[in-house]
Amino acid sequence: MKAVIISDGDAKTELSENLKAGIVAALGAGGNDVRTVELEKDRVAPCLGCFRCATSHGAECTNKDAVSEIKRDAKRLDLTLFVTPVVFGHFSSTVKNAVDRGTFSRHWDVVIGYGSDVDEEERSTFLDLTAKHCGAADIVHPGMVDRVDVFVTTSAAESAEICDRLRQDLLAGAQS
Amino acid sequence: MKTICLINGSLRGKKASSLKLLSDIESRLPDSEYAKTTVRVKARPQGGYPPATLRQLATADALVLVFPLYSYALPGALMRLLEDYHAHATSGNEHNREAKVYAIVNCGFPRPVVFDECIRVLKNFCRRLSLDWRFAICISAGPVVVAMERVPLVNPRLKKGLKAIASDLEGGDRPPARDYFVRPVLPAPFCLVAKRWVERKMEMR
Repeated sequence: MKAVIISDGDAKTELSENLKAGIVAALGAGGNDVRTVELEKDRVAPCLGCFRCATSHGAECTNKDAVSEIKRDAKRLDLTLFVTPVVFGHFSSTVKNAVDRGTFSRHWDVVIGYGSDVDEEERSTFLDLTAKHCGAADIVHPGMVDRVDVFVTTSAAESAEICDRLRQDLLAGAQS
Repeated sequence: MKTICLINGSLRGKKASSLKLLSDIESRLPDSEYAKTTVRVKARPQGGYPPATLRQLATADALVLVFPLYSYALPGALMRLLEDYHAHATSGNEHNREAKVYAIVNCGFPRPVVFDECIRVLKNFCRRLSLDWRFAICISAGPVVVAMERVPLVNPRLKKGLKAIASDLEGGDRPPARDYFVRPVLPAPFCLVAKRWVERKMEMR
């Protein structure tokens, strides 16, 4: 399985680093090809809304940066993992720029929000917001991913549970 | 005189529907009563937004955010501005805790259900900074609605919503109004065809 982990390099915390280490261990255990990309806010351009990706052959993006590199490989990805701080129940701007520009895998996306001070409403907003990406709203949606899983972690114990769940899902996927 | 900060959350420049909506709300606020400033999001604000820009937000009596919906949520560029403003306000700088906050959101999707979480994000932002969330105008099929704005008897809901912002800015301590959902004047089969076209395009990629 070819996977990429996209995270916010400007919002590293003990929680996020432990979480990423756990994810890499969970993915690496199955001999998967895992790439980690840490995006920095000053080095990632947002979507300009020019629609070049929707209208040009090859879905080219006007911006050329780390996100366009991920996007170029997106077709070959089996799994994209977004690891983002939860900001007002939303992705951080850096990770949202990657989402807006279509770095999803189209097969399986996992979105994990983290933050030690995330309250219940923010957690719920984040979960609902992301659940819609898998088409729950039955409308025109940009992702059209076969499967999307979303989690929020506020502690090391929750992160460990998420990594266990990922490990089990990967195992189940490999067996089927 | 009240200070209003109008925030253009679109990066599409003159082509943006958000810019047209922003101009419309601006024209409804007389210069004799309001001091208006406009902040436009930047594609790459190296090192963050300058303190002068953040002070414009911090000192305003009202913030009006006008932006397109990206993936059911705020565009990354607007999110960067809100993050920088939050950092500015929570790092010892004064900000107007009574500032009223409004949003005018437009998107290409035809159903209003898509706006729910975006509004919740803005409410969370206001709660974090103790700002006074008022209401949102959510516009489905934004470019179509904006293009038909001048057509008489079309989109009365949009005009009502824009008027409501102007009226709420004048008013005192009224409770927040309900959000306005502006639906497209498009028949359902047209929306279905558009949906299929987009899906086919995405599959071809």
